[in-house]
Amino acid sequence: MARLVVLGGGVAGHTAATFAAKWLGSQHEVVVVTPNSKWNWIPSNIWVGVGQMTREDVTFELAPVYKKGGITYKQAKAVSIHPEGGENHEKSFVTIEYTGQNKAGETEEVEFDYLINATGPKLNFGATPGLGEGSQIGEHTVSVCTADHAVHASQELKKVFEKAKAGEKQKILIGTGHGMCTCQGAAFEYIFNIEHEARKAGVRDNIELKWISNEPFLGDFGMGGLHMKVGGYVVSSRLFAESLYAERDVEWIIGAHVNKVEAGKVHYELLDGSMGEEEFDFAMLIPPFAGVGLKAYDKDGNDITDTVFAPNGFMKVDADYTPKPYEEWKASDWPRTYQNPTYKNLFAAGIAFAPPHIISKPAKSPNGTVINPTPPRTGMPSGIIGKAVAHSVCDLITKGENAHLHEASMAEMGAACVASAGKGILDGQAAAMTVYPVVPDFDKYPGTGRDTDYTFGEIGLAGHWIKHILHHLFIYKAKLNPGWTMIPE
Amino acid sequence: MVREIITYPQQPSLEFGVNVRKFDEELFSLLDDLKDTIKENNLDGLAAFQIGNYFNVVVVKDENGDFIELVNPRIIRHSDKTVEEESTAYFPGLSAQVARYNDISVVYQDRKGNDKSLQAKGKLARVIQRKVDYTFGGNFLTKLSAEEKKRFEEKLGGKSDIAVGGVCPTTFVRDKFMLGANILTALMIVNFIVSFFVSDTLKETLWNVQLYSSFGVVGLNIAYFFYGLYEGHIYKQCTSCQVGNFIGSVAISLVKLTVIMLLSYYFM
Ligand SMILES: Cc1cc2nc3c(=O)[nH]c(=O)nc-3n(C[C@H](O)[C@H](O)[C@H](O)COP(=O)(O)OP(=O)(O)OC[C@H]3O[C@@H](n4cnc5c(N)ncnc54)[C@H](O)[C@@H]3O)c2cc1C
Repeated sequence: MARLVVLGGGVAGHTAATFAAKWLGSQHEVVVVTPNSKWNWIPSNIWVGVGQMTREDVTFELAPVYKKGGITYKQAKAVSIHPEGGENHEKSFVTIEYTGQNKAGETEEVEFDYLINATGPKLNFGATPGLGEGSQIGEHTVSVCTADHAVHASQELKKVFEKAKAGEKQKILIGTGHGMCTCQGAAFEYIFNIEHEARKAGVRDNIELKWISNEPFLGDFGMGGLHMKVGGYVVSSRLFAESLYAERDVEWIIGAHVNKVEAGKVHYELLDGSMGEEEFDFAMLIPPFAGVGLKAYDKDGNDITDTVFAPNGFMKVDADYTPKPYEEWKASDWPRTYQNPTYKNLFAAGIAFAPPHIISKPAKSPNGTVINPTPPRTGMPSGIIGKAVAHSVCDLITKGENAHLHEASMAEMGAACVASAGKGILDGQAAAMTVYPVVPDFDKYPGTGRDTDYTFGEIGLAGHWIKHILHHLFIYKAKLNPGWTMIPE
Repeated sequence: MVREIITYPQQPSLEFGVNVRKFDEELFSLLDDLKDTIKENNLDGLAAFQIGNYFNVVVVKDENGDFIELVNPRIIRHSDKTVEEESTAYFPGLSAQVARYNDISVVYQDRKGNDKSLQAKGKLARVIQRKVDYTFGGNFLTKLSAEEKKRFEEKLGGKSDIAVGGVCPTTFVRDKFMLGANILTALMIVNFIVSFFVSDTLKETLWNVQLYSSFGVVGLNIAYFFYGLYEGHIYKQCTSCQVGNFIGSVAISLVKLTVIMLLSYYFM
């Protein structure tokens, strides 16, 4: 009997664990180590953040689902990985610290044959002074990255709306809280959902909305923008975005690295080296992401974290990490199997793997500050990678060590994303976008590196409906309800 | 080498806005061609896109008439929006009132790949904005107001077929079909209610009316959808002209119809 341990029960980890358990059956064991008792459909946190959904709408208890799926569930967080085993262990093991199940604070060493690291991002608020400490958000701004953050955000937003209703002018600032953030899409959704709610509440006239982000142009989304074919012509997501912002009366600051947050004020540096300040009554700034800070040790207890993890804390996989200038970036730099090159029984999936470089064009201010979006790894690629990695591990377990590994390169994978711009059965709006491939392949598609036939965007009511249906569909799937395997990632 | 400037109604290129990654001979000759073409035609500036090249490259003339080469330019700061008269080589001999910023900051690379930035004001700022829009697949019409666009199209003599990023009309013909479908649906509700108060034979007639009306609603929806597609083709960038919206509207209308027909079927 072999044991697969999955660290993290988010999009990638949950997908990997549930499929592995199904494919391996009861002959082998699948263990999930994740610190939360509830699963969260993160994309819908946006709607929690504007008070249109509750925490309960976007979360569910994991324990009964894992019981149904035949998965051993440990409500704990992983602390360190010991791929070579250790003094008391012949086999590889991972040290975990319980956060629930009446064992909070207790540690345990869990042996494994294979390990999938799907611990996602550490929300690195501490990277910007005033934005927070470590992974804890500070008091000046709000976030929608977790369901709890989103509930808090909606309470604060309500206060702002009340003031606006009483005739007080209010200023709302939404965007990224550091020059090296990703996930601009979430901030984009949030600002337009606020705009929509403000109009519904009749307070739009008293609310000034401003966007601040590290993108080099509006509509970059960390992917160097989308090139969309509309009626035979190719236009950029920049033009789409600029007309949407203008139409909805949202001003923007781009190419910005927020370097300090105070009560009611952010300080920032722009790509041209100039400095600026922006005041606010309410601000939601996405933090930069880092790895969750797992450590690794060899058999003798020596620290080998540098071997297993990249400096930003994400796990090294089969990518080409040789530093290269922009003109030499290739699709083949991106990982295919997500296997750690040193320890073949370690894999990473979702945000937890270290990308070889960014996707947008790299950029620095004259002061040397890096201001460019880092690569997004949205839900769809995270799920696809999680499933591919689970497939590989299952084959390794059932067919032996030489089994062929399954591949899922982000340079050969498309992604579909539906970004909400307002919730409502009849007046909702969402932008539906697809890109192919996520990582541009400049050799295969000379020019932009993307296939313009499969890269497009649309905004409208239907998009909102799709987004709403996806909310129910993915929660249905994650709960392992009948037919869950047929629902795509 | 002086190159041919692409003019309306020809489309400049299918691909656009490709970042320059290699600072080599190909780029140098492109920059030189742009300068030669600007000189020959006595222009303020040109985007590579305007001579049929997909690279994200712009050359403009500054206040002293000196060339500035902008490789991979991005406008990162803007202020002071005003409306002024502008013209472009893409529409020779025509001009329009365009809203643009008078004060911008641009980051870009020079021909050696060094990072640079530039603060531009007034006319130079406007030229750079217009050229940078080209490098993202836009054109002169991208930033026109609804009224100005209409006026400009009249000058062009007929509808222009390049409504990229343009402003949309406020009323569409397709909406008349949907209005018809909605009125018919409302009449069906009235018909349904009336049917409770009439004799059985009349009821049968009313049911037939209901049935034919439902075909009418379906027909109007089909007409709405296809006319919508046609309008979407004319107003390419209108957010309200997206296929998704038509599907949504048709779906709503058909759901209403289904409910009424189910009720009618069981109670009429
Ligand atoms: C507000 C918001 C909106 C978004 N909207 C969209 C969208 O519309 N579409 C889209 O495609 N994507 C969206 N995304 C991105 C999407 O949520 C992520 O791509 C996806 O969640 C990544 O999956 P993951 O499994 O890698 O990480 P996560 O889903 O974050 O999962 C990581 C898991 O690891 C656990 N963990 C952390 N530390 C440890 C540890 N030490 N040991 C064990 N477990 C640990 C965490 O508790 C968590 O359960 C959005 C993101 C945000 C923040």
